[in-house]
Order: sequence, then C-alpha cells, then structure tokens
Amino acid sequence: MAGSVTLPGRAAVAFGRWSVPLLFGQLDRKEGCLVPVLASLCDLIHDPEKLYQTVTGGFVEQLKVCLEDEDPAVRRKTCELLQLLTGHSTGRQALLSSSLLPPLSEMLDDSSSSCRRNVHLVLNGIAQLPAGAHALLPLVPKLMLKLSQEEEEEEVEVLLLSTLSCCSRVDALPALASDGVPLLGRKLSHSSPSVRREAAAAMMALSVPVDGKQQVCEEQILPVLVDLLQDDDLEVRTNAAGVVMNAAIITAGKSLSLELNVLPVLLDLLSERPEEEEERRRRKALVLYCLRALTSLAEAPKGRRLLREQLPLLERRTEDRDQDILRAAQTAIRVVTWTP
Amino acid sequence: MALASHSHRDPGGTYTFSSRPRAVESRSKYREPPAEQTQRQYGNIMYDRRVVRGNTYAQHILPTPDLAEVQRQQAVRKRILARRRAAEQLRLRTPEPLQGRRHTDVQTDLFLEELSEVIEATDTECQTDEFLDRPATPLFIPAKTGKDAETQIEEGELFNFDTEVQPILEVLVGKTVEQSLLEVMEEEELACLRAQQRAFEELRNNELAEVQRLQEQERRRREEKERRIAQQKEVLKKERETAEKVAALVYTQQYLSSLLPAVFGSLRDHGYFYDPVEKDIETNFLPWLVAEAHANLEKRHASRELLDNRYELLFTQPSNQKTTSLSHNSI
Repeated sequence: MAGSVTLPGRAAVAFGRWSVPLLFGQLDRKEGCLVPVLASLCDLIHDPEKLYQTVTGGFVEQLKVCLEDEDPAVRRKTCELLQLLTGHSTGRQALLSSSLLPPLSEMLDDSSSSCRRNVHLVLNGIAQLPAGAHALLPLVPKLMLKLSQEEEEEEVEVLLLSTLSCCSRVDALPALASDGVPLLGRKLSHSSPSVRREAAAAMMALSVPVDGKQQVCEEQILPVLVDLLQDDDLEVRTNAAGVVMNAAIITAGKSLSLELNVLPVLLDLLSERPEEEEERRRRKALVLYCLRALTSLAEAPKGRRLLREQLPLLERRTEDRDQDILRAAQTAIRVVTWTP
Repeated sequence: MALASHSHRDPGGTYTFSSRPRAVESRSKYREPPAEQTQRQYGNIMYDRRVVRGNTYAQHILPTPDLAEVQRQQAVRKRILARRRAAEQLRLRTPEPLQGRRHTDVQTDLFLEELSEVIEATDTECQTDEFLDRPATPLFIPAKTGKDAETQIEEGELFNFDTEVQPILEVLVGKTVEQSLLEVMEEEELACLRAQQRAFEELRNNELAEVQRLQEQERRRREEKERRIAQQKEVLKKERETAEKVAALVYTQQYLSSLLPAVFGSLRDHGYFYDPVEKDIETNFLPWLVAEAHANLEKRHASRELLDNRYELLFTQPSNQKTTSLSHNSI
C-alpha cells in the first residue's frame, strides 16, 4: 500500500507477507537503533491485516523486552504501538492475554513524561473493554495514588480519570476503598472542562453502590455538583446530573438535594428544547438523567409537592419523539401523581 | 631437523649448492654474534639488500661455470692477449731519431695553427626568463568534422503532456487519497465505536439509576409495610393484653368478692384472729401455770413413789419371793 520510499527515521519495510515478521526479527536481534524499526511498525499496524498478523504470529511478547529498554524513545514508541493494538478487538484480547500488563504498570512510574502519557493511553484503551477493565482492577489503588499526587499534565489527568471511570463501572469498590470520593471531589473544581467532565463521570460510576452514595452525601460533594449543573460544557452538566440522579436514590441524598434547591436547576435544564436533531441527540443523556433525578426526588413528599406544580413541564416532555425519554417522563409523572 | 641447504662438490671439481626455499631472514647491518640469535626473524623481502632490483632484462646472469667452458674461456683469453701482443709488435713505428737529432711535430699546412693546450673558451651566460605561470591550456576544440544537421521539436509532436500525465497523476492522487481515506475511516470507526459505547453507557446508567430507584422504593415500601405491620401487631397485642387484663380484673374481682369473707371466716376459724391478751395468756401464762401445776403434781407423785418404794422395801425384806412378785406387781 505505501510506496517503497522510506521516510527518514523509519526502517526499510519488506514487501507483503514478510513485512511484519522481518521487522520483529530485527527487533529481536537488536540490530542497531530500535526506534526506526518501531516507527515503521507503528505505520504498518494501522492496517488491520498487519495487526492481525502481528497478533496471530505471537510477536506481542517480544515487545516486553522493548518495554524494559533503557532508551526512553524506545519505550515511548513501544507504548504507541500497544496503543494502536488496543484500537482493535483482537489486539485488545492479545494484550490482555499476554503478560504485558505488569511491565506497563511498572512504567507508570517511568522517568520520561511522554512514556507515562503513552502508558496512560494504552491503559485507557484497555479499559474501554469490560474484560480489560476487569483486568485493570488491581491497578486501581495505584492509579488513585497517581491521581492524588497531582504532578501530571492535564491530558494525562483526563486519561487517568477516564480509565478510573471505566474500571469503576465494572466494580466500584476498589476505587471507593482508596478514598475515591474526596479525591474526585477535589478534581470536580478543576479549571479545565475535560478534567471536570471525566471527574464527574468517574463520580457517577462511584456513586452506583450504596457506599458511594452515602459518601457522596457525606463529603459535601452535592453543593459542588449543583455548581457543575450550571457549567458551560454540556458533558459536564450531563455527568453532574448523573451523579445527582444516583445520589438522590438514598433518603439522605434526597433530603440534601432538596435542601440545596436542586429542583429548579434540574427543571431549567429540562425546559431547554433545541430544534436541531444533532443537538437533541447530544442532550438526550442530560434530559434522561434529569428526569430520573426528578423521579427519585419526587418520592420525597416535599419534592412531590414541588413537582406537582411543575407537572405541565413534565407532560410536555412526554411528547418527545425518543422512546427512552418518553418512558422516563411517564415514570416521572406516575411517581409525582402517586398518593399513598 | 633436515638441513634445508645442501651443498657438495661435484666430482669434476665444481661446487654446487642447493637449498630448499625458505624465507629470507632479516640481517642486521652489523652482524650480531650468532650465539645470541635464538629465533630466526623473517624480514621483509622488499627491504632486503640482497634482492635484485630493477629491470633484469639486460642483467648479466652469472653462468654456472662448467669445467670445459672455463678452460675454453681461459684459452680464448690467452689467445686474445697473444694476438694483441702480436699486433702491437707488428705495428709500424717511425724509427728512432739519430744521435743529436730530435723528432718534432711540425705543421705543414699553409696556415699555422697555434696548438695550445689552452682552449679558448668564452663564458657566456644565459638566464632563462622568470618562470611565468603556465597559461591555461586552451580548450581543445577539435576541428569540426562531419556535417551539420538540425532538428526542432514543435509543440505537440513528442507527446501531449496533459494526456500523458493523467495516469501518473491519477495514481499519485489516488494513492494519497486512499491512504488519507483509510486514516479518516479508521478515526471515524473509532469515534463511532466510542459514540456507540457512550450511548450504551448512558442508557445503562439510566436504567441502572431507574433500577436502583425502584429497588430503593421497594425497600422503603417494604420497610414501611413491615413497620406498619409490626406496629399493627403491637397494637393488636396490646389490645389483647388489655382485654385479658380487663377480663382478669373482672374475674378476680368477682372471685375476691366472695373470697374475702370466706377467708376471714376461715382465718377466724383457724384461730388466726386472736385477742393478743388472750393469746398471751394462753401462750405464756397457762403453760406456765400448767407447768407449775405439773411440777407440783410431779413432786407429789415423786414423793408418793418414794413412799411406795419405802413401803415395798419394808414389806419385801422378810420374804424375798413374795416381795419380788409383789414388787413386780406393784411396779
């Protein structure tokens, strides 16, 4: 596919079937500089056929040696390669079944920051897969420690938070055990919207078990969330609404939310109705979460009283085209009009 | 060790020497005493003085001397010498001058020449001009040979650029576009996957929240129900207890109403109600009285017994047999 002209900084690539095995053979024999070889491999792996060849040829184990190389450029390139592997399902499974996870977790403490960033990219890629998130669960305490150290750049923080939220969706207990809730609460007031978004998503995942909900209520996270509900970024608002939705399920959450006047904010969020399809699709999650939060809050008598006045707004929502929003709105109305 | 060199004297008298080829040893300029030489050093043959240098085309080769040859050469030499001597003798010379005369050389030409040893020589000097820089060699332009001919390519004769370049351009652009399309597709695919995953996550979160809410609701309702049931049970139990208590109260009242006089009556009958004075008299005084009376009587009895015994003793002493039966009877 690519021409035979080699770019500077890339090793020569053989034709056809031999391209991948030859390059891995060069890696194995450690002839001279490894970085051009790895750069050529990175280019090749974009092609799914070559990726499949790499995975089935069992070459992934050889990368373990490269991960422990002394040159940081080699390690960085190897991590890039692994990140490309996580873009495909076969690659992800090969990565999980190989023994590369311990060296990768060692490299979290690497001296070079670009290496660390690439390692986080790889871990993020692995965590998108449920089995991968499951495999990464033992790493969660270490990741929480990294988060609390706060010496990483913003991009790395975003990746770290995203990985943590994926892992916590599978099982939130390790993160909760390592003081997840206070730590994430601090991150919720970060200056960058992407960090806030990911922190709110992680908090949403953490607030699924009952422990998490209680901690969210105790640690004064709800006032911060009310601020976030009025944030500029749509994603941040969505995730904050999700956390409120989860927290409002327990009685303490309900009472706290009602004290903090969350109801008017949620109703405001519901009442905006954009016209274009695209915008509507993006807001769907926000609308759903708000409706569910309102449903939970409506179970408290005070909330029900307040919401009964707002019934027309909810009824307007039942005319929406989307099935999920329809169902959610109907449930909300049912709960609001329930009498004991 | 076999000797590499081999020399012997031919029976004809010549001396021959042959040796196996061996590397030439280097020899220092000043020969060291042979005893010190322990290891033979082989030197570079190029720097050996003994090696013949230069063109050997016209070199005299030492002939191997043969005996007959040698003799012949010697004879030849002798003959040459003899011939020379003979020629020398036969040469005509001017006879020796007579006494008082001397031969001199005289010039007999028309013009006398001064024959002097000194050769007139004039010194002439010549000096070359200062060396000028060698001028650049003129370009060698060979003489023109051949016939002139010219040709001119008009536009459009050789090839049409636009049509020819099209396939090449197509390939180039096509490859680039294909590559970029693949990259874009890959990114789009990933973005699509992410979007799908996100949508799924949202729905999942939604449903999860709903499930939890319902669970919570269930739990609350169940707890409420249980509490109410417990409360109700409590109430019932209390009611039952109160009913039982009331019944018990009524019954006991009824029972006790007849009980009291009966009790009093029986108690009185049993003598539990007593006049303390009377009781006191009964318990303290009368026993004492009786005891005293008894004591009195005992005294009397004792005294009567004593008396009886004395009488017995009196009566039984004369006749023991009668008295024993009597005493038995009396006792």
